[in-house]
Amino acid sequence: MHKVKILFFATLRDYVGLKSVELEIPFGMTVIGVTEKLIETYPGLDKVKDMMMAAINREYAAETEVIPEGAEIAFFPPVSGG
Amino acid sequence: MDLPTVISLTESELDLDALLAQITLPTTGASAIFTGMVRGQTSSNNAHETIYLEYEAFQPMAETKMRQVAEEIRKKWPSIEGIAIVQRIGRLYPGTPTTLIACTSAHRNTGVFEATRYGIDRLKEIVPVWKKETGLQGEEWVEGHYHPKPGE
Repeated sequence: MHKVKILFFATLRDYVGLKSVELEIPFGMTVIGVTEKLIETYPGLDKVKDMMMAAINREYAAETEVIPEGAEIAFFPPVSGG
Repeated sequence: MDLPTVISLTESELDLDALLAQITLPTTGASAIFTGMVRGQTSSNNAHETIYLEYEAFQPMAETKMRQVAEEIRKKWPSIEGIAIVQRIGRLYPGTPTTLIACTSAHRNTGVFEATRYGIDRLKEIVPVWKKETGLQGEEWVEGHYHPKPGE
């Protein structure tokens, strides 16, 4: 197991009720695995899972990407700046 | 000479003249500036009034991605001299400029319009900034549509 930091932004933060949380995850877990684990803990996320994008260490990540040790994983909806 | 690139995520009012001055070189003869502002009245589909928008950013990643947009512009239009990419965050009211993209070059016909257009389009695709709209009916997050590819 290793510890990762999860950040939530915009509407996802509203659904979770937290800006960030630390999580213990097994080695080899992918973005999908983390997403499923988060939905278990914060069921409100189930409604918005289709819009959940992930950035690992500030770079857009594929769902199948394995989480590196000690990573920072940000979850957020498609961006709407400008 | 180093070509000036101004990247800024700020809570302060945008100073268009000062930003333009920062990307103007002795060789510069043209600039295309795009600025977006908070629209108070939306008349197209889903007509409504906006009281204010609240912008938030994932700051370190947003700055990295803004820098990436500038690099992409330089690759596509090598004639561009200066680039400014600015996003304002915080609570912003109708009529207020929220973003500025500006590119400079020696002449107007060397891609400066296209480069600026590309800059705002890319900012809206990959820079992690979100806005929540407060209107007469309450508040609602504005949702984007683009899903960047891994590493994009």
